[in-house]
Amino acid sequence: MDFYYGLAQIIGVHTLLGLSAYMVLLTGQVSLAQAGFAAVGAYVAAMLTVLAGMHLFPALLIAGIAAATIACAVGFPALRVRGLMLVIATLAFGEAVRLFFFNFDYQIAKGEVRVGPLGGEGFRQIRYFPENGWTTFEVMLLIWAIVAMVMAALWWMDRSRTGAVLRAVGEDELAAQSVGINLTAVKVSAMAAGGFIAGLSGGIYAHYTTHIEHANFGVVLATFAIAYPILGGLSSVFGTVIAVVFIQGVLIEGLRFMGDWRNLLFGALIVLAMNLRPHGLLDPRSLAMLRRLVGRA
Amino acid sequence: MKSTALLLAATALVAFGSAAAEAQERVVKIYGFGAKSGVVRSFGINSEAAMKAAADEINKAGGIKLGDGAKGKVEVEFLDDRCNAEEGISVVRRIASTEALVAVGPTCSNVAEPLFGVLQKKAGDAGDTGLQFPIFTDVAVKGGLAKISEWAFRNVPSEAAMYDKLFAWLKTTRPELKTIYGGVEEDFAHSRATWYSVMKEKAGAGGLQVKGESKWLLADTNFSTQVREIKAAGADIVAISAHPFTTCGVLKEMRRQGVKPKLLIGLTSSSSLETLQGCAKEAEGIVIPTSFAPVTPEAETAASIVAKFNGSLDLHSGAAYENMFILKDVFESMKVMGKPDTVAADRDKVRQGLAKLQTTKGLIGTVKRTPDREAEKPFLFVYAKDAKWAVLHNPMN
Repeated sequence: MDFYYGLAQIIGVHTLLGLSAYMVLLTGQVSLAQAGFAAVGAYVAAMLTVLAGMHLFPALLIAGIAAATIACAVGFPALRVRGLMLVIATLAFGEAVRLFFFNFDYQIAKGEVRVGPLGGEGFRQIRYFPENGWTTFEVMLLIWAIVAMVMAALWWMDRSRTGAVLRAVGEDELAAQSVGINLTAVKVSAMAAGGFIAGLSGGIYAHYTTHIEHANFGVVLATFAIAYPILGGLSSVFGTVIAVVFIQGVLIEGLRFMGDWRNLLFGALIVLAMNLRPHGLLDPRSLAMLRRLVGRA
Repeated sequence: MKSTALLLAATALVAFGSAAAEAQERVVKIYGFGAKSGVVRSFGINSEAAMKAAADEINKAGGIKLGDGAKGKVEVEFLDDRCNAEEGISVVRRIASTEALVAVGPTCSNVAEPLFGVLQKKAGDAGDTGLQFPIFTDVAVKGGLAKISEWAFRNVPSEAAMYDKLFAWLKTTRPELKTIYGGVEEDFAHSRATWYSVMKEKAGAGGLQVKGESKWLLADTNFSTQVREIKAAGADIVAISAHPFTTCGVLKEMRRQGVKPKLLIGLTSSSSLETLQGCAKEAEGIVIPTSFAPVTPEAETAASIVAKFNGSLDLHSGAAYENMFILKDVFESMKVMGKPDTVAADRDKVRQGLAKLQTTKGLIGTVKRTPDREAEKPFLFVYAKDAKWAVLHNPMN
């Protein structure tokens, strides 16, 4: 079963990353900075547990706040640009963060070994889970408890006035502004909230892989982060989960037996899925149908 | 009535016969894993071919003698981790969820580091919930990784010893060489660590003046700036710590810009067929220490067998080939049972057996095992000559 628990961990962490991009996408901003925020979360959380000996929970919280603070700082200049320019700006930010960690050395002696980030060679021995007796199942439960909390918060937000405001900005900025919505506050808040969630995902990622390096947080991860909510659909938070299960569970893990053909099929199936479900795997029609079904039951 | 009894007796006989045959010959599955896609896919393809070739040889010789006297037929399955840490961990969790007793891999050091971290650090430590599954690495060569976990073993060469000997040898045979300049594939754990922690250090210790280094990335395709830096340094030796793909890119650019150092030195991983296929002309003369060359009858035979499995034997796939025979010996000496109900005990036996090894038989000579589960492999200095690797010097002699 350990394999399935491990797979569920991967799906959980990627779901968080996808939800961080979902949050930003609701306001109509396409951000490729989520991998950068995850990197900040990963390094901060790992440094707190490994170097400072902190408990994982406060470390994750601080990692989330650190990533949110940086996201907030990124959010302000990002207000000046939109569309493709924003994509490029956030991509550049993500690369800047990656390159920062590529050159970031901070090691201290712990017993006979030196621990901490070592530039391009990464940061090893982030073994909080195994060293504290956490089983793979328990780690999976923790990850999914966090995913559930984040999803519940986003689901509730989607149904509140805040959600309506976010979507209004995403649909038509001019119309939203004309009815008195403060665009700056909305966009920066969405970016910060997305940064917090990405920071959490990075913090957990660092601890279940036990080793992080700059290359983990490159353009590929940033693309995946934005692809999850787009492929899953923006109608509901559940679309992101479905997309992550489709990509990580079915395409990457499920097709592993196909060897070299897997990579070919990977792209083809994503294109096919987007053609068959242009509004996302969980589009508004499917969502309405599900609601009717749940209502009848 | 009589015919029914006869039928029952016949059925029982068939059932007993097949059970006895099953007990006599079991399948021992050994998994390999590594990069079979992406930039370094050739490493995984060659390792798979080497493992399958070795399994074929073992089976032809009667298979593995298991603890209860039954014969074990070796089967190899190879999984692609795409040189990705998350996938590497997932692949090993998948393998560990089967009845496999050991896995050979991975290709990339950036997969080995997190993967070894997921394993239990100290075997038998009840407080450590890390994965208890033996890994016997063939390719990932970055120094000192096996010490991360007592379940991790490596049969990879010690680059520190290789370059130490190389620079010492150059000092005596080529005293006119005074300066060295490096070229580093900066974003790949192995090449980066080898330049900064091995080549640069050993060159300095060998009396060479290190004039600096130029950097590029694994996915780079344009090296004009870096080669201009190399040219400006004007060093006697240019040491390229990069994998075949960018090594060839740099060498081609050096040729274009007319950069001709007195000596070229390459990274161990570039002493492969890929370098010669990619840039034999430009690589002419490059000197590389390697733990494999077809210099013994065993190595020659192994290379020809692996070629039949559509692979090429080099220092990495050579280790995969050796690992299979080492594992066979360990299975037999530790009396591994290979039964579904003895999986956990068998895995521990494999770990203990690998930990006990003092020496192993290598394709070009005896390999010493170190207490921190690494190997001290014999090695040679080879150089590219007429699109082939030729032996330049054998430090073992």
